Amino acid sequence: MIKEHVDIDDIIERHPGKPESLIFLLQDIQAAYNYISPEAMTLVCDHIGVPLTQAYAVATFYQSFSLEPKGEHEIRVCLGTACHLKGAPRIVSELERRLGIKPGETTKDLKYSLDTVNCLGACALAPVSVVDNEYQPNTTTPKLVRLLDKMVSE
Amino acid sequence: MDEINLTINGKKIVCRAGTTVFNAAKENDIRIPSLCHHPHLEPIGACRLCLVEDENGRILASCVTPVSENLSVQTDSPNVRAHRKNIIRLLMANHPESCIVCNKGNRCELRKIASQLGVGTYDLYPMPHYTGFEEANPFIIRDLSKCILCGKCIRADHELVGVGAIDYNQRGFRSRPATVHDRPLEQSSCTFCGSCISICPTGALAVKNVSFAGSPQKEMASICGFCGVGCSLVMGIQDNRIVDVNPSPVENSINQSTLCVRGHFAHDFLSSSQRLTTPLLRKNGELSPATWEEAFAVVTDKLFSIKKKNGPQSIAFFGSSKCSLEENYLFQKIARVILQTNHIDNGGFLTGRSVLNRFQSRLGGMSIGPLKDLEKAEVVLVLGADPTHSLPVLGYHLKRVSKIKGVPIIVADPRRTDLIPFASLWMPLATQTDYYLINGLAALLYHRKAYDAQFVKRFTQGSDEYFKELSAMNLDQISRVTEIEPEGLEKAADLLAGKKIVFVVGHGILQQRNGLEVIDALLNLALMTGSLGQRGTGFYFLTMENNALGAWDMGAVPDFLPGRQSLVDNEIRKYWDRAWKIKISPDPGLNIIKMIEAAEEGNLKAMYIMGENPLRSLPQPGQIRKAFDNLEFLVVQDILDSETVRMADVVLPGAAFSEKAGSFTNLEGRIQSFDPVVSPPGQAKPDWEILSFLGNQMGLPAQYRTIEKIRDEIRELAPLYSQWGKNGNSSWIKEKSDLALFHPDESGESALFSPLVPLKENIRDEDFPFKAILGSWRYHLGSGTRTGSSNRINQMPLSGEIEVSIKDGERLHLLDGDKIRLSSSYGSIERKVKVVRNQKPGLIFVPRAFYENDARNLLPLTTLEAPNSPGFKEINVKIEKT
Repeated sequence: MIKEHVDIDDIIERHPGKPESLIFLLQDIQAAYNYISPEAMTLVCDHIGVPLTQAYAVATFYQSFSLEPKGEHEIRVCLGTACHLKGAPRIVSELERRLGIKPGETTKDLKYSLDTVNCLGACALAPVSVVDNEYQPNTTTPKLVRLLDKMVSE
Repeated sequence: MDEINLTINGKKIVCRAGTTVFNAAKENDIRIPSLCHHPHLEPIGACRLCLVEDENGRILASCVTPVSENLSVQTDSPNVRAHRKNIIRLLMANHPESCIVCNKGNRCELRKIASQLGVGTYDLYPMPHYTGFEEANPFIIRDLSKCILCGKCIRADHELVGVGAIDYNQRGFRSRPATVHDRPLEQSSCTFCGSCISICPTGALAVKNVSFAGSPQKEMASICGFCGVGCSLVMGIQDNRIVDVNPSPVENSINQSTLCVRGHFAHDFLSSSQRLTTPLLRKNGELSPATWEEAFAVVTDKLFSIKKKNGPQSIAFFGSSKCSLEENYLFQKIARVILQTNHIDNGGFLTGRSVLNRFQSRLGGMSIGPLKDLEKAEVVLVLGADPTHSLPVLGYHLKRVSKIKGVPIIVADPRRTDLIPFASLWMPLATQTDYYLINGLAALLYHRKAYDAQFVKRFTQGSDEYFKELSAMNLDQISRVTEIEPEGLEKAADLLAGKKIVFVVGHGILQQRNGLEVIDALLNLALMTGSLGQRGTGFYFLTMENNALGAWDMGAVPDFLPGRQSLVDNEIRKYWDRAWKIKISPDPGLNIIKMIEAAEEGNLKAMYIMGENPLRSLPQPGQIRKAFDNLEFLVVQDILDSETVRMADVVLPGAAFSEKAGSFTNLEGRIQSFDPVVSPPGQAKPDWEILSFLGNQMGLPAQYRTIEKIRDEIRELAPLYSQWGKNGNSSWIKEKSDLALFHPDESGESALFSPLVPLKENIRDEDFPFKAILGSWRYHLGSGTRTGSSNRINQMPLSGEIEVSIKDGERLHLLDGDKIRLSSSYGSIERKVKVVRNQKPGLIFVPRAFYENDARNLLPLTTLEAPNSPGFKEINVKIEKT
């Protein structure tokens, strides 16, 4: 999932300079760059006139914001009760082994990020994972490995 | 206003609509426990201890529940108590068991509520969340394992102080109040005001006190002795030592729940080893300890013999804008009545008194009001003031009226101050061009007919001439001189049009070369817009020192008698002749600059300095040292050993404000009296006692055994202070001038517009191409004699860097931390440099008070009236890399 370069000023100009724009701005920046850099956060705060701490508070509160650069491909595995019972932890440990990273981390080449989520609200699809914003119902380790291999070959 | 009927604990209550159940109960003396509620903060319902139960058994958090008609709640039902106990048990299970060594001691609110509810053991699995101490800075210790997430510190930071250094980080179990990226406080935007410590219900935030932990033996009220705001304090005392300072919970205090870094932390200077503890006499060239009797005898003999030999004009008195009203009154009375000299001044001369004089002489009064009235303002114009550094609590007021009340603030300042993010408009004008800016704005308002014609007609004279001058004004030229684009001027006029203005005037005006003219221009603008006389209009002047206004009011100045009454007025002088049974000389005395000059010339033989350190605060210490060397006799009455003390023939150890009774008049004109909190160190005495004793020995007829006697005399003789003490410890000066009051119902004298004048040109000096502004930095006050004796302030790694713009930094190849020499034609200083964003090229900022206040070397020792005087604020300089 290669993203096109987006100018941060364009994102910021899209939203009115009011405190209410905070979350929208952070979401757009997260979507464009896969993370929110300190510089971006400063620009946002200057634009909407809130203290930097307030943006930081919001960014650390929501799981969907990241303050660290994320990999090109994001893999999120659900560890909710249903997924847990259907073997999600085993999927996580297999991914950890193959990628050499722990949940919350990104591979050194900035290719993959691995995260766990507490519940995706899609228990009927358990065990479920999300790869590059696409839901993968009934995830199995071999299925995910195939997906990873496909990404590498692309 | 709508009223609501409700029942609390079976008691029928009528209250205001829109209030909360918690506040309705409080107003009716029903106490509901809470950890996150604070009267000065918006409620957030975080701690859930204020639960109440309604008739249907529903549990509500009373601090966020608005009252509703016929609501009936129980605040202490068995159900509510059970819930509360469980909340406290959970909080305690999450809390480390370190009460024995906790700084909060018996003041811990968690402990108080737990004991009230009878929760001794919590019977849960303990789950404390240890995080380690953070105490790298010299002011605040953070032990967030004790944090109960009430959010008071965060809310105080955002809502009261307006800094925003901390906020909640993370969520759930990991949630905690922290800085951006969880960095240490000293790397954040924290200003160390300490308001968070005072408001914290537990020991999560504590004062860094190396020598004491726990709750002090007793707490006593006092008034802060640093800047002109005059914050109400409570001081915690342990063994006659002040170990803790917090904002006082009294109603209507100027600071409410806030303080600044100086007020909160710098009071440790009181126990500095530099304190003077015994009278000293110069014997064989050395200062050696003496008894009070010996010291008094020498002072009396010497002053009398010099008066006899050289006449009264050979003696001068230098009083203090830091000493109390009572002391300054006695001080000038000794000078005027016993030694018959009008050579009296005080340290407020350089920090604005000479400029404020103009305001007084044009309106016959100051007409200032409570800072709280800023809330009523239609628009605020801040000129030459960075209160976030110089008078932080005033800065908080401005930030709050902008953020919470939405009052537009216009800031005219060459530098981007911390107030700019809160301003509707920033006008980065060229230095010392305020005069043109103000006249330009007046002209724009005149062109738009957006001024108060009725006020002009009713209360003023000379408007025709003034308006003619305005209509002839060339706005392009104004824009060129002030370096403000015409659009910027128009924008400011948009904000000011048809509005009544509040002016906040700082040292950028009060110390500038054209200060007198700027005051004239401001008064014209105020008269034209009708911005005088009503609440939410008028002027606030930043007074650097706690009693700058009071020292003037008490006549510790060359040209005014007590009650700020002009000495040159025959009637007034006769009145005081009768009161004091003497004949006062009609000639105004010398101001401090002239005193130094007279001493240099040998015309002045003796000086008595009380509570001032001119060798550190005035420009050109070498010149002053020479002048003092010329004196036959120098008495210094002070609390700290200083450069000036070391030159004295007699040293009288006085008491700091917390060690004596007294009163200060703050920048609002509020007279605040205080009692001693601890006793003075060693043999030191309260200054009013020293003066009373000395006055009596020198033949002052009245004897003042108690401070109340002095107050009675001032109240009786000075009409300005007739209301003093009428309302407990806080009362207001009473302006008598019809002009200053602008009665809407009566017609007083008309106020005059002053004509526009050409200013002296500041010729560009090729040798000194930069303009350096000298200004305050929040950790120090004035010249830093007191704050420089504070251990905590000294431990803060501050180096008072000279700030240069990015462009100048690039051109001169300067990097942060490089050492430079800054020279004016009067002297030079060496310091580290810091390259800063948002600074105009060619402009340099030099913080005062650092390195024995070396910045004073850059200025000449002149009055503003002197030709070519650069003033005390700005000077042409050059930069050399060393």
